[in-house]
Amino acid sequence: MSNDSIQVEGITKRYGAMTAVDNVSFDVGQGEFVSLLGPSGCGKTTTLRMIAGFVDPSGGLLRVRGRDVTHLPPEKRDLGFVFQNYALWPHMTVAENVAFGLKLRKKNRNFIRDKVAEALTTTGLSGYENRLPRQLSGGQQQRVALARALALEPQVLLMDEPLSNLDRALRVTMRRELKELQARMKMTTLYVTHDQEEALSMSNRVVIMNKGQVEQVAAPFELYENPATGFVADFVGITNFLGGIVTSAEGGGVEVKLGSGQMLRAVTKQPVALGTKVRALIRPERVTLKTTAADGDNILTGQVVLAEYFGALLRYSVRLDSGDILRAEVHNFDSFIESGSRVWICVSPEHLRLIPDERNA
Amino acid sequence: MTRRILPFLSPALLALLLFVAFPMVWVFRTSFNELAEGAYIVEAMTLENYTRFLTEPWYLVNTLWFSVRIALLATAISVICAYPVALYIAKTSGLQRNVLMALTMAPLLIGLVTLVYGWIVIFRGGGLMNSLMIALRVYDQPVRYMWDIKGVVILLVYIGTPYIVLSLLDSIERINPFLVEAARNVGANRWTAFWKIVFPLSTPGLYAGLVIVFSLNFAAFAVPLMIGDSNTQMIGLVIYREALLNNDLPFASALSVIMVSVNALLILGMSALAGRLILSRLEAKR
Repeated sequence: MSNDSIQVEGITKRYGAMTAVDNVSFDVGQGEFVSLLGPSGCGKTTTLRMIAGFVDPSGGLLRVRGRDVTHLPPEKRDLGFVFQNYALWPHMTVAENVAFGLKLRKKNRNFIRDKVAEALTTTGLSGYENRLPRQLSGGQQQRVALARALALEPQVLLMDEPLSNLDRALRVTMRRELKELQARMKMTTLYVTHDQEEALSMSNRVVIMNKGQVEQVAAPFELYENPATGFVADFVGITNFLGGIVTSAEGGGVEVKLGSGQMLRAVTKQPVALGTKVRALIRPERVTLKTTAADGDNILTGQVVLAEYFGALLRYSVRLDSGDILRAEVHNFDSFIESGSRVWICVSPEHLRLIPDERNA
Repeated sequence: MTRRILPFLSPALLALLLFVAFPMVWVFRTSFNELAEGAYIVEAMTLENYTRFLTEPWYLVNTLWFSVRIALLATAISVICAYPVALYIAKTSGLQRNVLMALTMAPLLIGLVTLVYGWIVIFRGGGLMNSLMIALRVYDQPVRYMWDIKGVVILLVYIGTPYIVLSLLDSIERINPFLVEAARNVGANRWTAFWKIVFPLSTPGLYAGLVIVFSLNFAAFAVPLMIGDSNTQMIGLVIYREALLNNDLPFASALSVIMVSVNALLILGMSALAGRLILSRLEAKR
């Protein structure tokens, strides 16, 4: 058992008849950056707030660095926390905000001065010591909030959508800085976000939550390429879903009969039983479009109904002969397919994912 | 702009002029008049009424300083009573909140005379207050509250507390609850979080409540008249006696001017102190 880690075991939070967080388990290894990702209301923030001690869990166990903290008051947990709205104390200067926790720990004045200066330098705020929070921009306030957490040198840092109140350009810059800082200081970090780009680009692993439950815990690449559920596939990136039934499964090769009668071949790692209702997932960038008849596995035919040009990429919406709409993205192209053109779409079996159809299971 | 809203303001302005400004000017002028043969007011320009009060140590100590002390004491106890109530109400909502607000406001809705009759039942020799205190072994002989300054202070606290609860509530509700969580997160327990975060951020409301309640207490008249002993030296009551019992309107006017001035000075002092300590940091940029 690693020392600098967070372990969440079957944590649950009920508000009356409503279950906000339902038996959630995951862990964060030492120095690891893990994101809690999900739509609003999925329970990710409540989970984080339970770990910080702001919300009392209805059940389950929380361990931080091996210590059971489930019912410990927040001030005894030694966790850094960065709030979405920064939560800077408006009656204290930047330096006083950062020094507050150190003063509570009864450190001597020189020590506090050095630590405050260090934290402000790290976050690029030297020279702002005597400003009041309201005299700073949103980005600067966020840096103060971070400096306040860092000054206490926490082994574990919790962040609740820290970038969501910033404008987009600043968000991208701060995202990189934050990740760099986290890697340099080797802080165990749990990061709550509803922004999949943030989660994918910063995290070692991502915990996807939906309706209070964990859908999947995986590294970003794994999450995108091998989503465990339809929710994950749909929430992370764009996915085309085609429903069908497994008609043959031999070794790694599986054949699926779509509703339209068309057969698709897929290569799967997990064994799939014959007759299982499945959904075939096709990522838009994994298809190739041809305007001439093509042969081979997994050819779908249809008509382009919308062609959008974005410079670096082209986006097509294709109405398949079965009536389904399929989205396609083309990044390397020499020509433009006009809307209304008939197209042949190829998906290699390696790029076709199958997930159980949980909709009417 | 100003010219356009003036017609709408004029009834209020007129009322202010008629019922506040004019009496004040009149009182101010009267304070320089003379009382001849203890009965007739004579137009004059004398400082006699002021010197009579301000050069008499007995008045200064037993009336002015006494009134300031009683007002401060009652205000301070009101603040101590009001904080927990305001903190609690701030966390409630819906029906619970409405009920609590109604209960808090009740003392202001009941007429003063009814209120005082109620308190007589509580205060008298074998009444609720004495039975309770003796049962709790705070003391073992009945204590006198009626016709005594102790009763006056208790009633001033009772009437003043709702005002402070109201103005504190407004400030406390503006405090972002995450600020308290942030303090807890960096190691503050509930008590420290209150003192370092909630208390300083509630000072604008505290200050507003203090000013109102201190002024009410300092100038209190009805409560000392009905609950206090016949010789209570609260300045409001002294003015009443001079004006209506001794018929010495010039002296009563001078006392009124002194009372309003001292009150204004004390409020300005509090304001300067509050401004230096905290308000300047909380106020938005001008």
